[in-house]
Amino acid sequence: MTVVTGVTCPVCGTFCDDIELVVKDNVITDVRNACAMGAAKFLNYSTHRNLRPLVRKNGELVEASIDEAVKRAAEILVDATYPILYGWSNTSCEAIRVGVELTEEVGGVIDNTSTVCHGPSVLSIQDVGIASCTLGQLRHRADLIFYWASNPWSAHPRHIERYTMFSEGRFQKSAWRGYLSRLGGIMSRKRLRRAANLVLRRDVFATPEVERRLPYSMFQKKRKMVVVDVRNTRTAEAADYFLQVEPNKDYELLQAFRMLIRDEELDVSEVAGVPVEILEEVADVMVGCELGILFFGVGLTMSEGKLRNVDAALNLTRDLNSHTKFLIMPMRGHFNVTGADVVFAWQTGYPYAIDFSHGYPRYNPGETSVIDILCRDEADASLIIASDPVAHFPQKAAQNLVKKPLIAIDPEVTPTTLMADVVFPSAFVGIEAHGTAYRMDHVPLPLKKIVEPPKTCLPDTEILQRILHKVRKLRREQN
Amino acid sequence: MITLYPKRLFKVPVEAECICPDVFAEKSAKEIATLQIWEGNRKRTLGDLFKIKHETDSPTEEFTIRICGDVSKVRKIGAKMSMGNIIVEGDADMHLGEEMKGGIITVTGNADSWTGSMMKNGTIEIKGNAGDYIGASYRGSTQGMSGGKIIIHGNAGYEVGCFMRKGLIKVHGDIGRFAGIHMRDGTIFIQGNSEGRAGAQMINGKIVVCGYIPSILPTFTIDDIRPKVKVNEENVEGPFYRFVGDLADGGDGKLFVSKTKNPHLSSYEEYL
Amino acid sequence: MDIAIKDGKIVEKVDEKKAEVVDASRMIVMPGGVDIHCHIAGAEVNSGRILRPEDHFKDVEAKTALTRSGVGYSIPSTFTTGYRYSRMGYTTVMNPSMPPLEARHTHEELDDTPMVDKATYPLLGDWWFVLEHLRDGLLEECAAHVAWMMSATKGYAIKIVNPGGLEAWGFGRNVKNLDDPVRYFNITPREILRGLCRVNKLLNMPHTIHVHTNNLGQPGNYLTTLETMKCVEDLAEEGHPAIHITHCQFSAFKGSDWGTMSSGAEEIAKYVNHHSHVTLDMGQVIFTDTTTMTADGPFQYGLYQLSGNKWVNHDVETETSAGIVPFRYKRKSAVHATQWSIALELALLIKDPWKIYMTTDHPNGGPFTAYPHIIAWLMSGVARKKTMSKISKRARRKSLLPSIARELGFYEIAIVTRAGQAKALGLKQKGHLGVGADADVAVYDINPELVDPSKKYKTARRAFKRAAYTIKGGEIVVKDGQIVRPVFGKTFWVDVKTSLPIEVNDDIKRKFREYWTVEYENYPIPDRFLHVPAPIPVKAEV
Repeated sequence: MTVVTGVTCPVCGTFCDDIELVVKDNVITDVRNACAMGAAKFLNYSTHRNLRPLVRKNGELVEASIDEAVKRAAEILVDATYPILYGWSNTSCEAIRVGVELTEEVGGVIDNTSTVCHGPSVLSIQDVGIASCTLGQLRHRADLIFYWASNPWSAHPRHIERYTMFSEGRFQKSAWRGYLSRLGGIMSRKRLRRAANLVLRRDVFATPEVERRLPYSMFQKKRKMVVVDVRNTRTAEAADYFLQVEPNKDYELLQAFRMLIRDEELDVSEVAGVPVEILEEVADVMVGCELGILFFGVGLTMSEGKLRNVDAALNLTRDLNSHTKFLIMPMRGHFNVTGADVVFAWQTGYPYAIDFSHGYPRYNPGETSVIDILCRDEADASLIIASDPVAHFPQKAAQNLVKKPLIAIDPEVTPTTLMADVVFPSAFVGIEAHGTAYRMDHVPLPLKKIVEPPKTCLPDTEILQRILHKVRKLRREQN
Repeated sequence: MITLYPKRLFKVPVEAECICPDVFAEKSAKEIATLQIWEGNRKRTLGDLFKIKHETDSPTEEFTIRICGDVSKVRKIGAKMSMGNIIVEGDADMHLGEEMKGGIITVTGNADSWTGSMMKNGTIEIKGNAGDYIGASYRGSTQGMSGGKIIIHGNAGYEVGCFMRKGLIKVHGDIGRFAGIHMRDGTIFIQGNSEGRAGAQMINGKIVVCGYIPSILPTFTIDDIRPKVKVNEENVEGPFYRFVGDLADGGDGKLFVSKTKNPHLSSYEEYL
Repeated sequence: MDIAIKDGKIVEKVDEKKAEVVDASRMIVMPGGVDIHCHIAGAEVNSGRILRPEDHFKDVEAKTALTRSGVGYSIPSTFTTGYRYSRMGYTTVMNPSMPPLEARHTHEELDDTPMVDKATYPLLGDWWFVLEHLRDGLLEECAAHVAWMMSATKGYAIKIVNPGGLEAWGFGRNVKNLDDPVRYFNITPREILRGLCRVNKLLNMPHTIHVHTNNLGQPGNYLTTLETMKCVEDLAEEGHPAIHITHCQFSAFKGSDWGTMSSGAEEIAKYVNHHSHVTLDMGQVIFTDTTTMTADGPFQYGLYQLSGNKWVNHDVETETSAGIVPFRYKRKSAVHATQWSIALELALLIKDPWKIYMTTDHPNGGPFTAYPHIIAWLMSGVARKKTMSKISKRARRKSLLPSIARELGFYEIAIVTRAGQAKALGLKQKGHLGVGADADVAVYDINPELVDPSKKYKTARRAFKRAAYTIKGGEIVVKDGQIVRPVFGKTFWVDVKTSLPIEVNDDIKRKFREYWTVEYENYPIPDRFLHVPAPIPVKAEV
């Protein structure tokens, strides 16, 4: 039995690197420090997997040798006039580097899952810029934390504890005590309310529809957390203040804040369902903080307004810097989606949706992004790695995807691998293969190899290298 | 006049920047056929994909290219052109007339997104509908359309006139959200309805909405009620509410919205 | 004269019958170019790439049978960066600004930058360990930590940017001068500079401390620069440099505001001419659209406020910050034209070419691809006059250039573009063609005996744009400005051996967890992570 320490967790963008694993006979038997998502992955990762490459013959997926699968995949890519190579956010940077080279070689389009999550954020960053930082900077300094349209309690479980509210920094102390006492208050209110309802048979504690003032804790000189969302979440319950915004009205709310920070007056009495008095008080808290941070999630990038919601948020935080220090960061989902953007950018100049069909990188999301290409039915082959678009893409895109030759590289059995023509079962990166990945704040960390993969499951990097090698050989033969 | 007939239906994107009067002028049909274009990742010649016919009966004196057939997958038609005419009988794909400097493009069907993006002068007329980002800038740039006219007889999509600097975009039908986003100057004239958020983050310029708009952004302030508004040389009868914004960006753009079509905005009158 | 090359080194002689012969008669042969300061890789450069699609989309390089595709202009993709340097005859480039926490990223990019040898400088001037140890007077402990950091990040030199100012920027503040204490740390920029200068000496680092001054880019800052140079005067050994002031142009402004801004080059040149402990590089401004990026967060924020352009900020916990703002230098702007003039004034007024080197602080003053233009300005008064005639009248009136007759010769160009830079960097095998040197050679198609660069500056410019041959490690990699053989370069890093290396115990691990959000064991980069690591062993005095 051995204990491996300092393991990075290949699940979400928080990318914790303090996981301890107990390994016995090439099996992970115990996980320490991880959240439920991380522990589940380390303990159960290999329950549903293919062990051998598969190639579709006469409509059936049948087992094949790696060489045969590589040959078939290379043929598909060489024959294609507009192939797409998609996924990348759940694999290592080393694999992504080979992926870009392969896409360039076959004259295809490479895209990562940013296209369905924070792609719009990138477009706005390109218009406005972004004032950001690494997460430790916030742990040490942030006294005002906004989670806007994101729910880390459920989606990035250790984010609050490691980097924000409940983390202990040099200049800012953890706010967990305050949370505990608030939680106690909430619980006793709930109990009292239940008792009162039983006795009096009416809801005596029914809260007035909209509070016209912020709670007292928002004016204290200590770490504060504000959640802005369309619905109450676990994160919102832990916050000092929860600002409920009408669905699809984030843009108006953000722009209204910008105006208040400029000391302009609004011609309306409420914005996005929030009274202007409240907005004014929140704006005062923003201006008065030592260092503020606004984390935003897919709720902002994928609701009405998309990139312009982010545009307004980026502008808001930028404007605030003339009063105090205020930063902003997207809550990236997959553990290496940031890495995919980063690698694409250093090799091609662009972070996602890159078209190599003319022999050099071109970029125009909307035109060169895979969902748009698929919806217009322009691709004539595809390679999907470490992603499951058949399950997650819009129906029309998924239909057009499976209509054409499809290569899937994935350690797991997914709807995409079931519909593919060539399937490569790969090693789980970060468990069975090593590499590098980037945390949501662009901090690069090593992915570790803990256990040996099954012999027939190669790492993504090697599968891609073999395909690239074969593609080059086929192209030489053609010329 | 040169007429192009696509030889087959295109499935992957075709990029044909060379379909441009400046390139065709003074070339024989044979030379034109050797011009290079892209079909997906394959290099082709124009002659591979199009039948090229030299016709003498030109409708105008100017050099004219006519395209008959389905070019709804052919991008960048008329990009960078500075003179002459292009007539597309049917639909055209993205980037039609991109960075155009002069001349006239007419499309009898629909045009896709980025039509007239970064254009400097000339006229584009679309008889059908148009996509998103009409007259916009390239990603990351603030250099949108800086002159010329785009006339759309049907409807137009989102973010029309993004980072527009000068010129006119006229939409006879309805328009999507964020018309005139980040607009620096110029005019967008919408005869139909707007889906909303018109003029978001505009710094200057003029947007006229003759139809219905669900709401005005809170970052605009009402300024006046005008009986009519002037768009280029044309007087458009109102009355119109005149809003100024986008104040979140310190903007001084003018947003005119029909008073009669938007009774729900009457509450703004108390601020006058 | 013949130059013999064998096994990647320059040797006494080779068997001429067996050797491949490159005929460089009627051409100039120089050592491969060395760039002491250019931002080509890492977190901030890449954020710049992501920020600016509009910078790349019109300058593209298609894939060929030998080379990878990419995009260019002010922030080229990695492959294109390597190819473009190599085509100009450069063989060694130094990436000057690496946040230690993100060192892995820098090295991943450097590995993807082909054709050139490279190294990178970790940013250490605002690292909490440095601030605390220096405040407490623990010089040797500080040195041990810096030595550890060089090895952990595979770094080459101590980079200091706006000392103290970056820590203050963590809360949106800055420091005003060398004696303005950093809040919460009770240490001044002067103490940081002096401390790290002494640490540098204790560790026997091959390069001096590499300093981006306080108050960079602000009118009147030439006084800060003079102070900065003076503050380590007593620490220098006779004849040995102790400090490198980088992109000095940005730190040589006179005046009290932008309206009165003028050149402080004369005063700085005067100081440098009388002292031997300083080296500089130019930071030449080119009239073009470029992207500014430095670790100087407060400076970049100021530039955003000035220009209204898009702005990226990236603060790195416990260590440093960074900022990016796209910027266009305009001929007709008095300030920009004065900046253009200042860098040339510095290069021409400082008499000894071994003290000032040619850079644009790529991409801050302009892209490195503009080097041939700077060579033309340095070699030809006519070329300078030609550009002068097109710049802002106010800047022209104030410029010292018309009064300077000096024109650099080819030998001096060789010094300011390679020999001097290699010497300042302590790269003994670079920057010369003596026996034992690395076989990095650049051949330019221009006959120095026939062409007078002072008059025919365009010919010189053309020649330096496209090397006739670039030889890297003994292999011909460029011919007639075309890549004929793609090669990887080495990555140099300084492996400092201290007698008492810092002990990795539970204490330091805990401190690590307190200061950073990563575990101790995930911080250092293993040697095998680099494609071609080239450690330079150094024995420290502690």
